[in-house]
Amino acid sequence: MTEKEQLDILEEWLKLHKGLIFKVVRAYTEADHDDLFQEIIIQVWHSIPVFRQEASVTTWLYRIALNTAIKWTKREKKYAGAETLDNIQHLLEENRTQIDDRLTWLYGEIYRLDEIDRSVTLLLLEGFSYKEMSAMLGISESNVGVKINRIKKQLIAKSKNYDNHGI
Amino acid sequence: MEFDEMKKIWDAQNNQPLYVIDEKELHNRIQVKMNGLLHLTTISEWLLILINLGTGGILLGFNRLKPGTNIFLYLEASWMFVLAVYLVSHHIRRVKAGRRFDRSIHGDLNHAISLANYQMRLSQIIRWNFLPMGAIMIFSGWEAGKLLRVSAVILVSYTLAFYITSKGYRMNKRRKRELQVLKGKLEAGI
Repeated sequence: MTEKEQLDILEEWLKLHKGLIFKVVRAYTEADHDDLFQEIIIQVWHSIPVFRQEASVTTWLYRIALNTAIKWTKREKKYAGAETLDNIQHLLEENRTQIDDRLTWLYGEIYRLDEIDRSVTLLLLEGFSYKEMSAMLGISESNVGVKINRIKKQLIAKSKNYDNHGI
Repeated sequence: MEFDEMKKIWDAQNNQPLYVIDEKELHNRIQVKMNGLLHLTTISEWLLILINLGTGGILLGFNRLKPGTNIFLYLEASWMFVLAVYLVSHHIRRVKAGRRFDRSIHGDLNHAISLANYQMRLSQIIRWNFLPMGAIMIFSGWEAGKLLRVSAVILVSYTLAFYITSKGYRMNKRRKRELQVLKGKLEAGI
């Protein structure tokens, strides 16, 4: 595969699925959106030559984006505080004017989950099957089911506070 | 809230842009590029004007002081003075044109593109200006009986000038292309 072909594929994927990456970015980091976004794009770029079309592009991108985000979160935790804010320049910012407050709340709740539960929740909300989630995350289908039940209960319980108090 | 409701809220975001470009930061970056180009353009303009005026003046003085008049040296000095005036008029027109751009993202971006264009034109003017100047100098050397020496100096100077101006031209062309790509993306809303 030539670099030009690789670039064309990346541009095409970004055009069609950029939103998917933004969702993962927002669920995994509160401040360094631009940095994580770039990291995911780099990993997607490296993955293009090994993409065999056995999975759909969406599934493939989710797998890469989630793995990158999980590794990123671990690394960020390890080096928390090492980088000054002066070095971070964001060109992308949340489109707050158009976002439903309930969506902001939902992202906040997802962010509070641990790394694997965050991935499970994102994939569940995106409508992936247990089988697909299991393949993407490397955990058994029954484990996915157990996690989903627990996460659903947790989110519904927390949403009651939101419904009652708007928080 | 039931989970189905959360799913609906989640799905609704697909119809809206999740992120927008941080216009302030983008504007800052464009302004940095534009100011850099503006600074470079102003310096190169004044440098060229001063070099032409200075060299023209030296040639004129040298020709007046030394015994015997070399008409080609007068011609060379005049050419340099005319070029200096031409560059000053170019500079005035550029400054006036620059005032027409507003200070919005698009205004600054268009200003930066026009500056890159101007720099490219300036490189071309300087490059091709060496041809008539070189020719006059060769004639002047021929009249003074130093044809070979003068021709060699002209050849070396022209090669050097050609190399430097080509490099400047290519650099500004690349800058202009980058800015045009950015403009295209902004207009396409990407």
